[in-house]
Amino acid sequence: MHWDSSDYERLELPPRDPNVVDVSAGHYAVGEAPMVLVAPALGSCVGVALYDPQAQRGAMAHVMLPRPVDAEAGGLMERFAEHAVPRLVNALREQGSLQSRLVAKLAGGAAMFRADSILATIGERNVAEVKRQLTLLRVPVLAEDTGGSHARTVELHLETGVLLVRSYLHGVREL
Amino acid sequence: MRVDSLTTMQLDALQELGSIGAGHAATSLAQLVDRPIDISVPVIELLPVTQIPEVFGSPERLVAAAYSRLSGDLGGCILFVAPEESARALADHLHNREAGATVSFGRTEEQLFLNTAHVMASAYLAAVSRMVDMDVLSGEPQFALDMAGAILQIAVVRVGMRADMAILVRTQFKGEGTVMDAALFFMPDPDSLDAVLARLGLV
Repeated sequence: MHWDSSDYERLELPPRDPNVVDVSAGHYAVGEAPMVLVAPALGSCVGVALYDPQAQRGAMAHVMLPRPVDAEAGGLMERFAEHAVPRLVNALREQGSLQSRLVAKLAGGAAMFRADSILATIGERNVAEVKRQLTLLRVPVLAEDTGGSHARTVELHLETGVLLVRSYLHGVREL
Repeated sequence: MRVDSLTTMQLDALQELGSIGAGHAATSLAQLVDRPIDISVPVIELLPVTQIPEVFGSPERLVAAAYSRLSGDLGGCILFVAPEESARALADHLHNREAGATVSFGRTEEQLFLNTAHVMASAYLAAVSRMVDMDVLSGEPQFALDMAGAILQIAVVRVGMRADMAILVRTQFKGEGTVMDAALFFMPDPDSLDAVLARLGLV
């Protein structure tokens, strides 16, 4: 790929208002309009956004890995797609959302360094595990911006259900 | 072994290893840019894998990075990271241009950055190899220019499926009278960390 950093878009960070919630790596958050859930700097990580349009309620997970290979991995289990996706659905149901109303949007799952065999596939495996879990839970994926080799920050706007994807390479995209 | 069960003595030994490696890397960088380079005392960071994306400040900060996989007797990786403006300052020095002459990061600057990273990683690992009497080499470095948090996630991938804590050995480099500021992360895999400690007689 031929490129030059002068081609990069100016990346404007979202204003820090009280409605903006940061979802850092391995965590998840649930909220209602007018909140905005932000998962910053996704590389191989995946931002999983679930939305209930009727209640204007949603949840976002910042998934790092597909699933644990060691049952004693410890720490925050929501860093694994296998745990995070069912947890998101449950969290929304606890708030009163019907599972049948939920829709999903995904972004992330890039390979920041392609030539390394372990690193090259982890993003894809994350996306695949997220989709597998969503299929099991019958939550349709409406849109995704995954793969490639660039970083993304994603914002779930709970007023509209729009997922904004920001990157240095492509600027802002709306899903 | 779990890194959160490392003893103070083991951590001190790893810091010493980092100091010696970083000293050699700084000398090689100083020779490249022909000016003195200061290094910080290496920081051993033992932290939850979920905090790794934030060790370089804001996860969205634009940084240049060179990633090399370790080969030989140790597994793991070595990562050289510099904020974009520092990477441009480095290019100014290496091209013998005035400060600020490099305004963007193109293919030439990318190659210069990779070469610098390779020289520093090799110097670092040569010193580590001598101390632990093992062969440790760095593979061909790969380049990325993007958000710091996304790049640092590679450390998570290597350890996060088996453990929730990771160890980072970080050293900062500063050029005299410039904005040049960079960091080198030495990240041996958990099994390799055991092997290093065994060689140092600290298991």
